[in-house]
Amino acid sequence: MSAALSLILMSLLVVTALAATFSRDLLAAVIIFSGYSLVMALLWQRLQAPDLALTEAAVGAGVTTVLFVAAIFKTQRMEEEAAGDEDEGEDGGGEAR
Amino acid sequence: MKKVISLCFILALGILLLAVVASMPRMGDPQSPTNTHIIDRYLERAEEETGAENVITGVILNYRGYDTEGEVTVIFTGLAAVLAILGREKRGRVHAYPDRSPVRSSLVVRSAVRFLFPFILLFSLYTVLHGDISPGGGFQGGAVLAAGAFVLAAALGLWSAGRPVPPWLRYALEGAAPIAFFTVGVIGILGGAEFLTYMLPRVAAGLQPSLRTWMTLFIELGIGTGGAMIFLSILMALSREEGEPL
Repeated sequence: MSAALSLILMSLLVVTALAATFSRDLLAAVIIFSGYSLVMALLWQRLQAPDLALTEAAVGAGVTTVLFVAAIFKTQRMEEEAAGDEDEGEDGGGEAR
Repeated sequence: MKKVISLCFILALGILLLAVVASMPRMGDPQSPTNTHIIDRYLERAEEETGAENVITGVILNYRGYDTEGEVTVIFTGLAAVLAILGREKRGRVHAYPDRSPVRSSLVVRSAVRFLFPFILLFSLYTVLHGDISPGGGFQGGAVLAAGAFVLAAALGLWSAGRPVPPWLRYALEGAAPIAFFTVGVIGILGGAEFLTYMLPRVAAGLQPSLRTWMTLFIELGIGTGGAMIFLSILMALSREEGEPL
């Protein structure tokens, strides 16, 4: 039973990691990433590391998510089609959303 | 040219780090010090040797006091560097996205956040003050506090989240974590012994128990408030207006 739970959590971890990496919508990627942190926090707790679980939940799911969202509002929500190499200098596309 | 230089630098750094990894004991090696005696010693004798009820607190503040000092320095130097690159928000010109959005966040979200925030605050205080005994501690409590303030900022706007702490106080408290740790370390030197001495139980046993508790609390509170303030400052700096009219 507990092994099955660990297995489910770990496969969820892999799925959320892949989904966050391949999502073109960065806002969605950030939300999925906070889900990844939540699963990771549960896993830390299952490994009997409650200190790490607390840190993961507060920093991973809370603080960094809001910082990423703030960064997206300042830049662009959608990843560009062909990964453009030298786009700095200009404003970086002022329109969020 | 610039790219070549940075590539060389990254490569050199990577090779250096990999070389260090190669010199570490192999993972799961039964002959490595970790597996032969350290874990047993920590788990069996931490309570009597360090006087800490929570073994993790004992390890972090006693056995590995110097490591923790270095860790605090590294983390807060990193955060200060981020802040130095981002710069400061202008006084009185902080606007989060919700502040200038034509659509207000919904009543449900605002009410829920207002209802939950006092409990988040209470939980962060509990995590900081109870860290000596239960899981948690300064950094975790500070991160919970910062996450609570961030939720407030996301739902009600940065102004509401920033209002309880005036900027001058926030700037002053950002350095609280390394300063608190270093101060407690130096107290040992002033007492005529070594850095971080008071954390050693044979010295602490001679102290008033309340004094030892207060010094631990001082470190935890310093790390907690310092962490929360610096995270808040980074959010403020990240979502400031660049001077363009609304």
